[in-house]
Amino acid sequence: MPQDKPAILCVDDEENPLILRRLVLENAGYEVVTASSAEQAFAVLSTRHIDLVLSDHLMPGPTGTELARQIKAVWPSLPVILLSGVNDIPVEAHCADLFLSKVEGPATLCESIAEVLADHESRRKQDSLPI
Amino acid sequence: MSEPINILMVDDQPAKLLSYEAILGELGENLLKAMSGREALEQLLKNDVAVVLMDVSMPDLDGFQLADMIREHPRFHKTAIIFISAVHLTDLDRVKGYQRGALDYISVPVVPELLRAKVSVFAELHRKTRQLEKLNRDLELRVTQRTEELRASESQFRTLANSIPQLAWIADSHGSVFWYNQRWYDYTGTNLEGVQGKGWLKMIHPEHVSRVVAEIERSWESGNPWEDTFPLKGQDGGYRWFLSRAIPIHETNGQIVRWFGTNTDITEQKLVQQRLYESEQRFRTMADQAPVMIWIAGLDKLRTYFNKPWLDFTGRTLEQELGNGWMENLHPDDIERYMDTYNTAFNDRRPFSADYRLRRADGEYRWVLSKAVPLLGPDQAFLGFICSCMDMTERKLTEEALVKSEKLAAMGRLAGIIAHEINNPLEAISNAFYLLRRHPSLDAEAQFCASLAEQELARMAHITKQTLSFYRESQQPVAVSISDLLDSVLELQSRRIKTNRIALEKRYKNHATIRGFPVELKQVFLNLISNSIQAMPEGGRLRVRVDERTEEKARRRGVRVSVCDTGSGIDPQYAKRIFEPFFTTKDTKGTGLGLWISRGIIQKYEGSIQFRSMRLANSNVTCFSVFIPGLSSPHSMELRASLAAS
Repeated sequence: MPQDKPAILCVDDEENPLILRRLVLENAGYEVVTASSAEQAFAVLSTRHIDLVLSDHLMPGPTGTELARQIKAVWPSLPVILLSGVNDIPVEAHCADLFLSKVEGPATLCESIAEVLADHESRRKQDSLPI
Repeated sequence: MSEPINILMVDDQPAKLLSYEAILGELGENLLKAMSGREALEQLLKNDVAVVLMDVSMPDLDGFQLADMIREHPRFHKTAIIFISAVHLTDLDRVKGYQRGALDYISVPVVPELLRAKVSVFAELHRKTRQLEKLNRDLELRVTQRTEELRASESQFRTLANSIPQLAWIADSHGSVFWYNQRWYDYTGTNLEGVQGKGWLKMIHPEHVSRVVAEIERSWESGNPWEDTFPLKGQDGGYRWFLSRAIPIHETNGQIVRWFGTNTDITEQKLVQQRLYESEQRFRTMADQAPVMIWIAGLDKLRTYFNKPWLDFTGRTLEQELGNGWMENLHPDDIERYMDTYNTAFNDRRPFSADYRLRRADGEYRWVLSKAVPLLGPDQAFLGFICSCMDMTERKLTEEALVKSEKLAAMGRLAGIIAHEINNPLEAISNAFYLLRRHPSLDAEAQFCASLAEQELARMAHITKQTLSFYRESQQPVAVSISDLLDSVLELQSRRIKTNRIALEKRYKNHATIRGFPVELKQVFLNLISNSIQAMPEGGRLRVRVDERTEEKARRRGVRVSVCDTGSGIDPQYAKRIFEPFFTTKDTKGTGLGLWISRGIIQKYEGSIQFRSMRLANSNVTCFSVFIPGLSSPHSMELRASLAAS
C-alpha cells in the first residue's frame, strides 16, 4: 500500500549525491522528498507529512545540525539523521537521533534508517498505550 | 817644629846685640836686629814681630819712649816687649804703667837662661795667639761659606718647591710651618701670616680635621712619615681632595730639623674612582637583578665574575665558581663540545653562543643557552668575554609542545579538508554502484564489474575512515567486542600480511566486550598491528592475543590485548621516546603520531599501554600490550546480542 511507505525528506546542497541518495532510498522502499537547503526542508515539512529527515551536515546557510535543532523544537518526535563527510563532530550533534559518516556506505545507511524508524515506532506505540 | 817667629832685638851697642843673639840663637827663632828706635819701628812695620827685646838706655830714643810709640799703633797693642835695664824703682813703676799690654823686664847683668825663658814664653804666647787667630779666621770663613751654601740650597729648594704641581710647605722640627710654596697661596688665597705655624689646619674640611690633627701629631712625635687624604678649602670656598704627605729631614747626626710636606690634588682621580665605583655598583645591581645568569671571563679564560642569578641557580658560592670551579656542574657529556667552542671563541675573539647542560642546585641538569660577546677596553683591547645564560629547558619543552600542537592542528585541518573532498564524492559513487549492481538491465559480466568496483570503493571508504577520522562516531559509548574489532583490523591488513609472508597466530581467550567507541579502539589496534607488519618486511610471525586480566596494583578486571612480532625490534635508545608525539623511526613515511594517539586513547579508558623488546640470538621479539579495564561479562554481551537479534 502506498500510504505504508515511510516518507523521507533528504536534504543536501550537492545535486549529484542527493539524486543518488534518493535513488538508494527509493530502492530500499521509501518515499523520498528532496530539498537543497535547510530553508527548503522547512518549507516541505510545513506542507506535508514526513517520517524521517536525512540531512547533510555541512551546507551553505544553516547546517544540518541547526536544521535538526529547529526541527526538534517544532516536531520533537520527528526523527532526524545527520550525514557528514568531515571528521569533526559538531557540538550540537546530539540534536539528531543519529550522526553517520557518509563513507559507511548505502547498506549501513539503509540499516540505520530502518533501526531509527523502528525504534521510533516502538516508542510511539509505548507512549500511546493506555496506562 | 812650628814656623819660626820673629824676635826683634834693639840696642845701640853692637856687642850687646851679638850677645843676645848668642843667647837666643838656640831657640831657633828668627832674630831681627835694630841699632836705634827708628830702625826698630821700620823692622816692626816690615815684619810680624812676636817679641821686642830692647835696651832702655839708648842715645836718641830711649826704650820707654820707643815702647810708647809702639803702643800707639793699634797693630802693636799686644806686642810683647821685654826691657833690659839696671833695676831701679822708678823704672819698675813705669814698666807697671804699661801693664795693660804684655811687658816684662830683665835686669842687668843679663842671666842668659832667664832671658831665654822669658823670650820663649812670649814667643809661645804669640804663636798660640796666631794659631787661635788663624783658627778663628778659618772658622769664620767656613761659617760664611756654609751660610752661603745653605742660602743657595734653600733658595734652590724653594725654587724647586715652587715649580712642582703640588702644594708644598716646610715646618720646623715641632711641626710649625714657616714656609709655603706659591701654589699653596694661589690655591688657598691665604698669606704666610694667616697660615704659619698650625694655621693651615683651618683649611681642612671640618669632618676630617680631628683625625688629621691626631695623625699628624703622632708623626711629629714619632718622626715617622705622615700620609692622609682629605679635602682642603680653596680660595673660592669649595673643597678639593688632596693626598697629603710629610717627610722628616734629618741632620747628619740623625736629629730632625725640618718637615717637608706636600698636598697633591687628587680630586679628578677621586671622581674617576667614584664614577668607576658607581658604574661598577650599577653593573652589579643590574646584573644581580637581571633575569639571566651572567659571567665574565678574563684573557686567561678563567671566570672572574658570576651574578646572583647564576649563584642562585647552581646553589654555590662565588669562590666555588671562580676560575674553572663552575665546570664541576657542567654535564660531563657537554664538557668537550663546550670547551671547543669556548677556546675557539677566545682565539677568534668573536661573539659565540652555546648550549649545554648545567646542574641546578637541586641536582637536576638543565639546558642552558649562553650568548657571549667580547669584553673590550677603552682602547678596544680584548679583555675577555661577558656572557648571559638562560635556562632553556622550559622554553624548549614549551616550544616543542607548541610545535607539536600546531602540527596536530594543521594535520587536523588537512584531514578535515581531505575527508570532505574525498568522502562526499566517495559516498555518491558508492551509492551509484550500489544501485548499478542491482539494476535489472545489467548482464552477469556488468554486474560482476560493478560488484568489483563496489568492493574497491568499500576499501577506499575503509581507509579514509581509518586515517582521516580521529573522531568518535557517536556521543555515547557502546559495547565493543575486542575480538571482533581485532578481526576487522586484521582483515584490513590481510593483504599486507600476505605480501610480507607473515605467519599470523590469533589466540582469543576471551570474547568479552568493553564499553567504548569502536573507531578509536580500532585505531589503537590498527596502529599496533600495522607497526608490527611494517617491522617485518622480510616475513616473520605476528601473534595477536586477547585474555582477561586483573591488574595487580588497582585490582581492576579488564581485557588485555598483546600484539607480538619478530620484526626489527626497538632500539633501546628510543625506548623512552616512542610514545612521544612526532617521534618516528620511519623517516618521512610515518607521522610519528600513531603510538602517541594510541596511548592517549587508552589513557582515556584509564588503561595502559606497554611494550617489551627482546633481542634474541636469531631474532627479536617485540610485544605491545594494552590493558583496558571495565570488562562486561560474556553474559551481558550475549544478552545484548540476543536483544539485537530480536
